[in-house]
Amino acid sequence: MDLRFLPGLPLSLSYPLLFGVLLVAGMLGGEVARQLRLPRIVGYVIVGFAIAPAASAMNIGSLLDEARIFVDIGLGLVLFDLGRRMDLAWLKRDWTLAASGVAESLLAFGLVFAALSWLGVAPLMAGIAAAIAMATSPAVVLLIAQDTRAEGQVTERALTLVALNSLLASVVVTMLTASVHYEARLDLDTAVLHPLYLFAGSLALGGAMARLASLLGRQVERNPELHFTLVAGLVLAAVGLAQMGKLSVILALLAFGMFARDDRNRHHLVNVDLGPASRLFYIVLFVITGASLPLSSFEAAGWTAFAFIGARAAGKFLGVVAIAPIGGMKWRQAIALGAALLPMSSLALLLLHDVARLYPEFGQQLTAVVIAGVIVMELVGPVATQWGFRFAGESAPAPDALAATRPPAGKPAEPTKS
Amino acid sequence: MPLEFKTSEALTFGVELELMVLNTRDFNLTRGAPDLLSRLAKSPLPSEVKPEITESMIEVNSTVHTGFAPLRDELVRTRDGIVDAAGKLNLAVAGGGSHPFHQWSERRIFPTERFLKVSALYGYLAKQFTVFGQHIHIGVESGDDAIYLTHQMARYIPHFIALSASSPFCQGEDTSFETSRLHAVSAFPLAGHLPEVGSWDEFNRYFDEMAGYGIVASMKDFYWDIRPKPEYGTMEIRIGDTPLTVTAAAELAAYAQTLAADLLRHRRLDPIAPRYLVYGYNRFQACRFGFEAMLADPGAHTHIRLREDLMATLYRIQRIGDELGAADALRAIGDRADREANDSRWLRERFQETRNLSDVVRLQAERWRDDPGRAPPKAEAEAAKLRAAK
Repeated sequence: MDLRFLPGLPLSLSYPLLFGVLLVAGMLGGEVARQLRLPRIVGYVIVGFAIAPAASAMNIGSLLDEARIFVDIGLGLVLFDLGRRMDLAWLKRDWTLAASGVAESLLAFGLVFAALSWLGVAPLMAGIAAAIAMATSPAVVLLIAQDTRAEGQVTERALTLVALNSLLASVVVTMLTASVHYEARLDLDTAVLHPLYLFAGSLALGGAMARLASLLGRQVERNPELHFTLVAGLVLAAVGLAQMGKLSVILALLAFGMFARDDRNRHHLVNVDLGPASRLFYIVLFVITGASLPLSSFEAAGWTAFAFIGARAAGKFLGVVAIAPIGGMKWRQAIALGAALLPMSSLALLLLHDVARLYPEFGQQLTAVVIAGVIVMELVGPVATQWGFRFAGESAPAPDALAATRPPAGKPAEPTKS
Repeated sequence: MPLEFKTSEALTFGVELELMVLNTRDFNLTRGAPDLLSRLAKSPLPSEVKPEITESMIEVNSTVHTGFAPLRDELVRTRDGIVDAAGKLNLAVAGGGSHPFHQWSERRIFPTERFLKVSALYGYLAKQFTVFGQHIHIGVESGDDAIYLTHQMARYIPHFIALSASSPFCQGEDTSFETSRLHAVSAFPLAGHLPEVGSWDEFNRYFDEMAGYGIVASMKDFYWDIRPKPEYGTMEIRIGDTPLTVTAAAELAAYAQTLAADLLRHRRLDPIAPRYLVYGYNRFQACRFGFEAMLADPGAHTHIRLREDLMATLYRIQRIGDELGAADALRAIGDRADREANDSRWLRERFQETRNLSDVVRLQAERWRDDPGRAPPKAEAEAAKLRAAK
């Protein structure tokens, strides 16, 4: 009897199965977290932590690495969405917003750099770690804003500052790679040309994709479903192109989003809500991020990791609290904004990944410190952001279905509109 | 205890305008009023700006005026101030009677004691009341005049509906109505019109009876289209959508002022009852068809097209309008009726062009901001006034 129609042993896992399992497990973890009044993201990440040892026991560790494609897609969607929310005109109208963005980024950089240097980390390494520390996780802030249905100045400003500091972080990291080149004794041409190629190429790619989106958008009816498909397709393509061209996915996708925002006021592209569909990728993004974080990093990093986290948090708070009140924000709002900027996640890992890919031998210690920082911030960050939005009074109140059915006590009808 | 009617100078007037607070991304309503109001509190504007039932609305209350031009200028200055403050917060503000695609369930009640109480009593009606109207106050010397004018003005309610209509879309769809906003108002149990009382004393007896049943506590509990407002000493017309420009809002107020002057000068003695028999029908016709509405005329037992009735009225009150300084306003209103160019039409045309309601609201916010242009700085305006005086 010929049994070749049966699958061969051992069974091999496939991407669809992996994606499905990660998705469902992540969703369940998220709901458990929600029951505990924690942000769903914390649940997704913890599921990731739990999956990692299981995966390596089942010998599918490498598959998890290969599942990076989902991470890149998820991150691409996040960065595009964030770029689209970044309104340069707003930064012009309210200079204090741009100023607080620059202040919190620079202070985070400065304090982390100082702390790491003081602990004896080499300047260039400390510099790169500090540059990575500037970035706030866009995915966390965006997802918490969605989950809590937060609306208001703190939410809007947090998202703009996240876009700004992600941009600054990737620019500074790119510039520092020039020094890495130099340190690696490559010729000066490469040290200059490589960052230049990353900047110019990524911006050009973002601009070209936005132009293409605008052109295609004009050809089809202005209906949200069609434009959603168009945008999602082009975001995927842009991620792929950026990888093919060895460009910066972060810069390219942020630029794509920013250019797509108003295509020079022609408004050919409908501003579609990427929310529900991109959540599928976001969940997987967080689960895989969690799974890819070696908890052993703490041992390697030691106290340096806590110096890193503490200096970063201090920088972000100080920067925001010093400038935001000048722009008319209340103290409460400034503190909430500082808390909202704490999360650190896949963007930091991607930056780290970019540096490590160039020079694998470059600093085991650096990697451990940043990863240990990310692990803590994966858990503390979402809680801080959720707290911030609530503290500012911007989260939607939880509905009380039963209370709403009871007639109010006391007096006759009161006026609504005068 | 009888309601005391505080008298005011006859034919003084002012407006209240409810405005949308929008995000600048997809131009949906957003929870921006608390931040906007606290920013505005630091640099006072000529008009007062207040919260409304949900956190996506603000209300502008003008000061009291006697003429059209000063009211318009005040509204322009107030608008400039609001637009600047909103810009700093990345918010947009717009006129229009309702938001074309927002979901009422996403609205949040502005947490003042009064609004929370309203929300607890009326349930979803409170959030659905996120619609935007213009209220016009006309000063009167006595409660009796307020009652008289309220009854008389009822005949002209369709004019105000057609002229101000700016809410053709609801929940993302074209309603085929010129204004869909009034349905949100009609849902309240005490909506409608003043009962057929002939004097302020008679009204007080009615009010006492209603208060005795424990249904109302103050005048504000009546959600009528037109009502006397004893606290201000005015008659208040509450039927209009907020227009898309402050100029249009001032013009409508000037039309109401001129009509009131005509009605007070040439007192009508015809019976009240028949006009309330046709009131609901005429109101519906105006909401649905605007200037093309066919109005039932209870005196003549005929139907007349709203536009023709409006033109005839404008012709009749022209001279009084000249006296009150409302000539420009009345001319603009006549022109609008003639071209059937109300704001609902403008909104539908923008939808034809863009095929997208987000874009329509964006254009509506741009129109609110830019039409008419910014007021000159105060020093410059005073210099111009001096020059003109010389």
